[in-house]
Amino acid sequence: MNVRSAIGAIGVVALVFVASAFGTYPTYLLSLAMINVIAAVGLNLLIGNSGQISLCHSSFMAVGAYVSALLTARLGLPFWAAIPVGAAAAAGIGALLGLPARRLSGIYLALATLGFLQIVQIAIEEFADVTGGVRGLTIPKARVVASAAPMSAFALFCVVLVSCAFSIWVARNLLRSRLGREFNAVRQSPHAAQALGISVARVKLTAFALSSGYAGFAGGLFAIVVGFVDPNEFGIGAALRQLTFIVIGGIGSIVGSILGAVVLSALPELLRPVKEYNELVSALLLLAALLFMPHGLVMLWRRLLPTRLVATRESAA
Amino acid sequence: MEIRRHVGAWLAACGLAAGAVLPWTAAAQTNGVTPTTITIGVFGPISGPASYIGLAGRDGAALAFKEINAAGGVNGRKIQIVFEDDAHSPARAVAAVRKLVEQDKVFMLMSVGGSNATAGTIDYVKDSGVPMFVSIASAPGVTYPFQRTMFRGGTTETARYGELYAEYLATQYKGKRIAILSGREEYPRNEGDATAQKLKEWFNLEPVGRFEFNIGDKDFTPQLTGAQRANADVIAFFGNPAEAGIAIRQARDLGLAQPFFVGANMVDPAVVAAAKGAAEGVAGFALVPMLPGSRLPEIQKWEATWKKEYPNAPPARPNVFDVMAYADAYVVAEGLKRAGPNPTADGLIKGLESIQNYRVGPIATPRTFSTKHHIGNLTLVPMVVKDGNWDPLPWQGTHPSDVLKRYP
Amino acid sequence: MPLTFYLQLAIAGVSVGAIYALVALAIVIPFKASGVLNFGQGEVATLGAYTALILTQSGLAYPVIALLVIVTGAVVGVIVERLLIRPIASAPPFTIVIATFAIGLAIKSAIQIHWGDTTFALAGPFGDDPVIVGGVRMNPTSLWIVFCTVAITLLLAAFFRFARTGKAMRAVAINPEAATLMGVRVNGIYRWAWAISATIGASAGLLVAPVVGINPEVGQLILRGLVAAVLGGFTSIQGAVVGGIVVGLLETFASITVGSTFKNLTPFIVLMLLLIFRPYGLFGARDVHRV
Repeated sequence: MNVRSAIGAIGVVALVFVASAFGTYPTYLLSLAMINVIAAVGLNLLIGNSGQISLCHSSFMAVGAYVSALLTARLGLPFWAAIPVGAAAAAGIGALLGLPARRLSGIYLALATLGFLQIVQIAIEEFADVTGGVRGLTIPKARVVASAAPMSAFALFCVVLVSCAFSIWVARNLLRSRLGREFNAVRQSPHAAQALGISVARVKLTAFALSSGYAGFAGGLFAIVVGFVDPNEFGIGAALRQLTFIVIGGIGSIVGSILGAVVLSALPELLRPVKEYNELVSALLLLAALLFMPHGLVMLWRRLLPTRLVATRESAA
Repeated sequence: MEIRRHVGAWLAACGLAAGAVLPWTAAAQTNGVTPTTITIGVFGPISGPASYIGLAGRDGAALAFKEINAAGGVNGRKIQIVFEDDAHSPARAVAAVRKLVEQDKVFMLMSVGGSNATAGTIDYVKDSGVPMFVSIASAPGVTYPFQRTMFRGGTTETARYGELYAEYLATQYKGKRIAILSGREEYPRNEGDATAQKLKEWFNLEPVGRFEFNIGDKDFTPQLTGAQRANADVIAFFGNPAEAGIAIRQARDLGLAQPFFVGANMVDPAVVAAAKGAAEGVAGFALVPMLPGSRLPEIQKWEATWKKEYPNAPPARPNVFDVMAYADAYVVAEGLKRAGPNPTADGLIKGLESIQNYRVGPIATPRTFSTKHHIGNLTLVPMVVKDGNWDPLPWQGTHPSDVLKRYP
Repeated sequence: MPLTFYLQLAIAGVSVGAIYALVALAIVIPFKASGVLNFGQGEVATLGAYTALILTQSGLAYPVIALLVIVTGAVVGVIVERLLIRPIASAPPFTIVIATFAIGLAIKSAIQIHWGDTTFALAGPFGDDPVIVGGVRMNPTSLWIVFCTVAITLLLAAFFRFARTGKAMRAVAINPEAATLMGVRVNGIYRWAWAISATIGASAGLLVAPVVGINPEVGQLILRGLVAAVLGGFTSIQGAVVGGIVVGLLETFASITVGSTFKNLTPFIVLMLLLIFRPYGLFGARDVHRV
């Protein structure tokens, strides 16, 4: 086990201790933070590793959240079946978006994804009978089986923890696999990649589907942890916030995604004492972080850990 | 190999810690009460686009509690407030109430937040047994289905808006052709839907047109010309004050002569300021009997007190949410008083349920609760713009309300 | 009669579109010059509107206010470029975009804290009585907006065509290294680009204030401005203007044909269709490489 994994294991033990011993407030916050980590890891796969752009990551969270919530509410599917189906639905829709999007890049791709975000927002509002529309949707409490008691905040935390660990593990293996190298090639030079026989269009499509699946997974977990889904939580503000996670954390790096998501999830809670100035302080801190650490928090991490002196994108950790 | 070891390590860590878990029990103890204080947890949006609601709710309630404390408090105890921001997001609101209940150990909760944010907290608050008084949010889940620990204050039920608006529209204008323009957001849409529904149900009237616009729109030419072409006699507009101001002025620019009727959150000086002369004669219903900034002496006196407490407030404060939260804070205090010298959650609930037609003064609408329903306010006050001011109208709805029929 | 109706809508669409055009211009210029997409551009317009508010409350006349807003815009643009953009010029591409977003958020939060969410009214320079021509009623402020947009566009075109700095900016946009070799001070050019862009953005805020009021949400314009910019090809002045007008007209006419549900979508749908068949927009240069 190398240093990083040891830190990871210690971190997990610490998390579980905090989540179990201090009431449900820290438990809930930690669950939300880990959900953000899942979303950030997925987004980084698309943006950092494959070199694409997406301004609609939050829409796929919405898809995952609504699909899994409806499967549970209407068909009685327990969460552990509904959420993966929701994630698959999000991945499928991500692939659909990837079809026209794979021929675009840069600002054009950004705007295409923005258009998709609008479509999803409108769909949520229009099908109000199903989604609750602008009034939001109360999520039935998660139960292991329909006859069991509702899961406690700590139990939900454990579910999210395992899911987060799984997501990180998948991403790590992915980036070390051939697909990961294809992502890298497409990011660095689509022309060269195409010349090498890599189907750039297929890779882009895969990247979209994968990152949307991550977002959908995060969305399904979000729904059961919060217990209420509000379409506003999946708008352009949320999409930009997720982008901020990976920019602050470090583009192209899984550790970066984790650091960025955790720090920026903690920030609003830490800024509670500043009361109504928290948004302004938040923006200024963001700016300061970008000015002084333009390559992300992951640079601090790499400097502090002696295990690897040169971290390349391929290793992604 | 390495990978398997990692997963193994992480799962082992989980198992270890899970074994050492302290189970969390939903305890309904009398937290937040000491011999000298009662602690109330208040939450609402003080950052983000809805901050004008939460800031006003916080300040209005704080002013009221300060006055109450200065007059001796409630049964010898002073009221303390812990306020948390929910940034108008259900996820943040749930965090706020968990903190208030479990870390700050408040005796009761008071929501001065928006609908969706408050709706998100209902499940948790219900399970925790902590009573919650909702001042401003119109989320239906607060009062229906009936929840013993939840009360609604200043805002009224969405259905009630529809009832009063429909009756006014059907009886106070020349002609029965009503065009409804509503924004694609929760509150305006609900107002529009409820109004259309009651027009049909009570007066057998269909709106001659329903036009939607997006919140944030700056141009209403399509919707206004649509209403004009439908030969509407009155235009009912449900949106935000900014849009109402633009639309009313634009209607005059386009030569429309139809009078305007606006929903509750547009009875606001900002509409008059934006639409200027075109706003004369615009009618609407307000949640308070007197609008801050209007020319009635009682509200002016109250505003002077408010301004002394908050000398550095931004313009357009105090607003209607300041007044609502102020009035509701007094209602809460009244409930606490009736709970007696040893307040418990149960005692508070019984105390509030005994309140009939209570209000702190003419600047508030009366609150009534019972053991069957916790809808405090069923009154909306009609107002009209005259000489650039919102003046109350003496009109009162005579059609009996259907709202309480749901609570036998 | 139907003709008047459509004319009325067209005028509404054009004047709304003129504002989008200005925002699009403000986005395209620094992008063309330095490759930076300014996500905080909406807030520059908000800043312009609130500057006008402060100045109005001091009792100054409109022309003076306009001039001061322009100057303020230029100053803000230069300061932002110098202090916040230049230091991170070598960072990964998204860092800069997020930085501009953070700047915008900081400006908006500060404004909201100080002035609250109220909408303030601002008097237009020519009063509120509509101008009636042949049965079509036009708001004088809308006409003024269109006039100013045209004037600004012509000024910019002349600047880029004839002025030395303008020509230098074009050179830098095409090839910064070659431009440096030719003696152009690239850093100075970036400063100019940001100053001009902020000036246009602030002016957009000032111009639109009498029509829509002054509140912290004025910055939402940026989303439309982005669509307009891409429609126009994202690298040309005339493209940005035409893109803006097209978006304005699309929105207004979509409102009556497909209803407000899809009104927001229509520009995006048109955009996507355009991107599939003409990816460089209506006017852009052909530099999309198919892979």
